[in-house]
Amino acid sequence: MTLINPEFAEELERFGVSTALDCFNCGTCTAICPLIYEHFPRKMIRYIQVGARELLLENDNELWRCLHCGLCTYTCPREADPGELILGLKRFVVANWRRS
Amino acid sequence: MYNPKIIIDLIADNVRKTRNPFGIPKSMLNRWWRDTPVRPEGDTLLFTGLMYQFTPYIEKTTHYLERYEDTKLADYMGYSKYIPKFIAGTGLALMTSGKEKKNADSVLRNIVNILAKSNVEFFYKPELDDYSGILLYDLGDQEGFVRHAKFVAAKLKRAGVRKLITVDPHTTYALKVLFPKYTGESFDVKTYFELVSFKSENGGSRVTLHDPCFYGRYLEMSDVPRKVLANLGIECVEVINSEHATNCCGGPAESVSPKLSKEVLDRRVEELQSTGEPIIALCPICLGNLKKSGAQVEDLSTLIARSM
Repeated sequence: MTLINPEFAEELERFGVSTALDCFNCGTCTAICPLIYEHFPRKMIRYIQVGARELLLENDNELWRCLHCGLCTYTCPREADPGELILGLKRFVVANWRRS
Repeated sequence: MYNPKIIIDLIADNVRKTRNPFGIPKSMLNRWWRDTPVRPEGDTLLFTGLMYQFTPYIEKTTHYLERYEDTKLADYMGYSKYIPKFIAGTGLALMTSGKEKKNADSVLRNIVNILAKSNVEFFYKPELDDYSGILLYDLGDQEGFVRHAKFVAAKLKRAGVRKLITVDPHTTYALKVLFPKYTGESFDVKTYFELVSFKSENGGSRVTLHDPCFYGRYLEMSDVPRKVLANLGIECVEVINSEHATNCCGGPAESVSPKLSKEVLDRRVEELQSTGEPIIALCPICLGNLKKSGAQVEDLSTLIARSM
């Protein structure tokens, strides 16, 4: 059974991830992203929204495929800043590596 | 794809110990100014951020990364951190083509000539010209970036420097946006092409600009190079994905996945070549990456200098 964990989004705020809950998963970011076949970055933002902390950490290498080009942020209709969310997730994962 | 942790740890260790991501001694890396007449003192510092100087080394490093990506040898890369920095950095410097180093240096010499022709007063002091740390920021090593950025900002502050002229989008973004936010130090930052004040009718050519993501979207200054070129009589033939909507060249992925970088590059090059005009890059990462495709590409500064 998978449980939703809203505290994960709060935990991420200190890494600059503060707009994940603004996203309504329309997929515009995924459509515009140069990584066209990866469901990226929508999948990662969904992990934040449902609090799938472990799932995110299991797939954390994918974050570094992001080119930080900013197209997703430029086109996001909710101004949820997906590019910054991915950068914040990288910070969270790096901090996690350094702690462990 | 390489394990990002290995790449990040290696780059962070290099920056911590040598102040640049490749571990190359600065005396070997930054030599372009030696035969160039630049004032050593002044009010406004030319701050290259060493990015153009890195381009031959990026090419050499990615050549090996391409060869070993997704092979068993890729996992051994982590051991390279145990090689003393001086030996690893000097080795890389000696393995890198002198011709490519000269090409990278010529971009900076052209920029000096462009500034001089525009009657801009500036000085250059290699001791004050440091890497901005931007790659650490992009890779998510926030702690490493902030520590390095504070070192760079404090050095500039101690030297009394408040005005900077930059030459690439990544360093410009770091100094304009990230340094005030994360170091508490603000500088008056202008890129060299914002300062071009001359006109010419010598141009008479057509080119296609590849806007870097950081000038196009993050700093919203795509109009500036277009005005410069228009004043030189050079026409820009646009692709659909330009200015704010520019497409990435794939360069940022080359340290973690050269395969992915090439995929993105091939798509962008196809789009840029559809105009049939030579491509102009404004960023050392884009320039190096677009060159890899075999496309006809040169730096904006080369075009401006030739049109003076």
